[in-house]
Amino acid sequence: MLKIIIPTIMLMPLTWLSKKNMIWINTTTYSLLISLISLSLLNQPSNNSLNFSLMFFSDPLSAPLLVLTTWLLPLMLMASQHHLSKEPLTRKKLYITMLTMLQTFLIMTFTATELISFYILFEATLVPTLIIITRWGNQTERLNAGLYFLFYTLMGSLPLLVALISIQNLTGSLNFLLIQYWNQALPDSWSNIFLWLACMMAFMVKMPLYGLHLWLPKAHVEAPIAGSMVLAAILLKLGGYGMLRITTMLNPQTSFMAYPFLMLSLWGMIMTSSICLRQTDLKSLIAYSSVSHMALVIVAVLIQTPWSYMGATALMIAHGLTSSMLFCLANSNYERTHSRTMILARGLQTLLPLMAAWWLLASLTNLALPPSINLIGELFVVMSSFSWSNITIILMGANITITALYSLYMLITTQRGKYTHHINSIKPSFTRENALMALHMTPLLLLSLNPKIILGFTY
Amino acid sequence: MFSSLMLVSLLMLTLPIMSSIFNTYKNSTFPHHVKNTISYAFITSLIPTMMFIHSGQETIISNWHWMTMQTLKLSLSFKLDYFSMIFVPVALFVTWSIMEFSLWYMHSDPYITRFFKYLLTFLITMMILVTANNLFQLFIGWEGVGIMSFLLIGWWYGRTDANTAALQAILYNRIGDIGFIMAMAWFLFNTNTWDLQQIFMLDPNLTNLPLLGLLLAATGKSAQFGLHPWLPSAMEGPTPVSALLHSSTMVVAGVFLLIRFHPLMENNKTIQSLTLCLGAITTLFTAICALTQNDIKKIIAFSTSSQLGLMIVTIGINQPYLAFLHICTHAFFKAMLFMCSGSIIHSLNDEQDIRKMGGLFNAMPFTTTSLIIGSLALTGIPFLTGFYSKDLIIETANTSYTNAWALLMTLIATSLTAAYSTRIIFFALLGQPRFLPLTSINENNPFLINSIKRLLIGSIFAGFFISNNIYPTTVPEMTMPTYMKLTALAVTILGFTLALELSLMTHNLKLEHSTSVFKFSNLLGYYPTIMHRLPPLANLSMSQKSASLLLDSIWLENILPKSISQFQMKTSILISTQKGQIKLYFLSFLITLTLSMLLFNLHE
Repeated sequence: MLKIIIPTIMLMPLTWLSKKNMIWINTTTYSLLISLISLSLLNQPSNNSLNFSLMFFSDPLSAPLLVLTTWLLPLMLMASQHHLSKEPLTRKKLYITMLTMLQTFLIMTFTATELISFYILFEATLVPTLIIITRWGNQTERLNAGLYFLFYTLMGSLPLLVALISIQNLTGSLNFLLIQYWNQALPDSWSNIFLWLACMMAFMVKMPLYGLHLWLPKAHVEAPIAGSMVLAAILLKLGGYGMLRITTMLNPQTSFMAYPFLMLSLWGMIMTSSICLRQTDLKSLIAYSSVSHMALVIVAVLIQTPWSYMGATALMIAHGLTSSMLFCLANSNYERTHSRTMILARGLQTLLPLMAAWWLLASLTNLALPPSINLIGELFVVMSSFSWSNITIILMGANITITALYSLYMLITTQRGKYTHHINSIKPSFTRENALMALHMTPLLLLSLNPKIILGFTY
Repeated sequence: MFSSLMLVSLLMLTLPIMSSIFNTYKNSTFPHHVKNTISYAFITSLIPTMMFIHSGQETIISNWHWMTMQTLKLSLSFKLDYFSMIFVPVALFVTWSIMEFSLWYMHSDPYITRFFKYLLTFLITMMILVTANNLFQLFIGWEGVGIMSFLLIGWWYGRTDANTAALQAILYNRIGDIGFIMAMAWFLFNTNTWDLQQIFMLDPNLTNLPLLGLLLAATGKSAQFGLHPWLPSAMEGPTPVSALLHSSTMVVAGVFLLIRFHPLMENNKTIQSLTLCLGAITTLFTAICALTQNDIKKIIAFSTSSQLGLMIVTIGINQPYLAFLHICTHAFFKAMLFMCSGSIIHSLNDEQDIRKMGGLFNAMPFTTTSLIIGSLALTGIPFLTGFYSKDLIIETANTSYTNAWALLMTLIATSLTAAYSTRIIFFALLGQPRFLPLTSINENNPFLINSIKRLLIGSIFAGFFISNNIYPTTVPEMTMPTYMKLTALAVTILGFTLALELSLMTHNLKLEHSTSVFKFSNLLGYYPTIMHRLPPLANLSMSQKSASLLLDSIWLENILPKSISQFQMKTSILISTQKGQIKLYFLSFLITLTLSMLLFNLHE
């Protein structure tokens, strides 16, 4: 694992030592190389884990998320170029350093063996993200967004620390690899209910669960493009990953503690999708769509069947790539129209036909068109929730319909119709942007050929 | 040989799409290339179909193992049975003609290559749908045709109407998809497989739920009553799209799905009678709507919807093979009707209103001939294509023990079919010209003539050939009283004469006040007015007012972040304000100190 972590850390000196005109190309190329190295982790020969050391390991659950993380750094760098073009060199370097630091933390989070080091790194990712949001956001609301982001996640995760200490006392180990062999049921008591809550709330806030999701639209809207991308693609998945890991030891409690959260997720999924129907702000729409998709992941994790776990993992990866791509597209619109309002970007298909094709593909994957991996994820979640309770199909079905509606509403409002006069003299789409979209789309398409590598444990 | 030839003809279709990777599609021959490819695919597919007709050998081929999850194995598999073997050549033949027609109709469109690529992609997804052997593959085709219809309806994306219609089509289809997904979930849950033959072999009990799901799916895709308004709206798309998607291929996918699942359906009486009633309502309701429309494409769209209702009725009386026969025959004449209307619309400078046509039999003799033959075939005049399936359906319905109400509805709808067909012929073709005198009418383009001619021959002979060459699957009712044999014909002739008499009689009369019946029919039974206003309004205002404003912006903001910060603010103000009361501060300091001293010292 060090062969990924050390090169990632070394990206920082690379940034600072690069010449002025080489910072983007150097960092992008090297991070892309790092992500190519990490691809080998996708080959998990057995269903057990690959242990690299006492500190780091990877298994079929974390490998796809890890590869997604490394894959996203070059994409974030590519996406931020225009946004930072007017900044002084030092700040550009600082920005890249922040992204690299975040990347390092994320890689270590996904590969940590110990729950406590997972926790520390999980919290550590907040710092660079906060700096990125509050320093490079576009409007003054970014400070408020940063506050929300920090306090929601901190408040959610502090009880987890307490819970971890108590678990350490109880079992004597916080090792992921050992915990899965610790199949002793937790006694049915009030303190264990609180233990369950403490363990899950940290990740539920991160996902985010409906009701605790307010930080997400704010942070997404105010963050610069790389911040939005990494938030949507990976930071939310930390929650899902943590839940998948920690539910193994919360055994009998989950079966009854899950109900309120399942209900809240099912309800919130519809609510957030409906909010999407009324959004005028493009980034906010994509953010709410993330909440709605992540609600599906929460449902899947709480149902706790092999199928639902597979669905949750697939959906996390699929949503990571899709929403990141949508944010990139929204950003490319923003750089041209200087507004996030959708109606101001209408009719762009006439002017930027290739970008319209990317919009179409991204919307179609967002609404889970078969045979994309988004569909595989959603389908598995729907299947498992149907077998859990037949009537959830009504809510799931409603959500599927609304998802299709708002995805296409977004497509139609930004791309179709007559173009307005103020976009008469916009820049054409750059090769950089097209490459960026292609790098998002290619994995999505290729993964649908062999979705098994992102299904996590296939049991 | 049999299966490989079939696969060759399917694979052939992907070649033009593949070729777009290499810059070849940019030259102007790409549309011709697509058209030729489809004609070759058609000819190639005829060989396995002939072999199939000769030997009756059904095949399932599994090619590529996609993935295995637990006990579910998913692979790429094709079902080459009676339905797909007959439907593939029919669809290819119709598409071939429509592609040639599009060469003429869309020749001035700057993006004609993209249009052809969309049509071809649609065709491929349709082929996936009909040949799929497992539900997942079927679902790929199912969603694929839906999305391609979205793209093709919204082809003229600058127009708001086109975009709305496209979105509407997706919305109604998606409601149907809920049913499909539910059926998939149920089959996975109860039979642990998505392969069709395994599902039928296991023959699960209590199939009400999945069959209801499939019925809902079919309702959405085949525009049955309740989810029907998208089909007439879809006429915003270019005419070739209407001819291909909304008459002969995509809209019959729902019926096709029910036909595929007839082994389960034939044992479930509840679902059958539900299907029967749904079909009967659809066929009558849409026929009534068609009566008073003035847009030529809308009339044909409603007639398509009505015929789809008839197919669903046929499935309801447990005759899937007859329904399938009607799908095949219907494809020929309905595609041709759309192409004829396209020819008229194009010649009259995009005029779609039949009141502004008239007298076209002089100006466009070929189109007139085809339109009349198509209409006659549609109404089921003996020995044209429609007769072989439609007459059989009504005879079978007449002689079977079935819901008399549904039968009556179907018969009335049959008679109305003749009435609205008469109306098109009467207003568009006969009488005096009512279009602008300076319109240049020219139908002498080989692309137009050849494509319509091919379907014209199909509309006359295809029914005869198809029904004579396929082996009989269910024994048709051979004996019946003469009046039953003649019912279908009688109601059709009744419809013709009534419509003709009424049209002639009211030709010079002015309609002072619209009657309520007229309004009901003209406003499509008030269905769009109600359903496209109230539920979306309620839904959207709910999402704005309750979901977004009330819950997100007020409650959730206030409960957690705002109230906490408010509380902190209040307490900090309360505590930190200096009031100069130094004695009190020292006192509190002293108390704390003493207490802690005591605690530390007395601690044990």
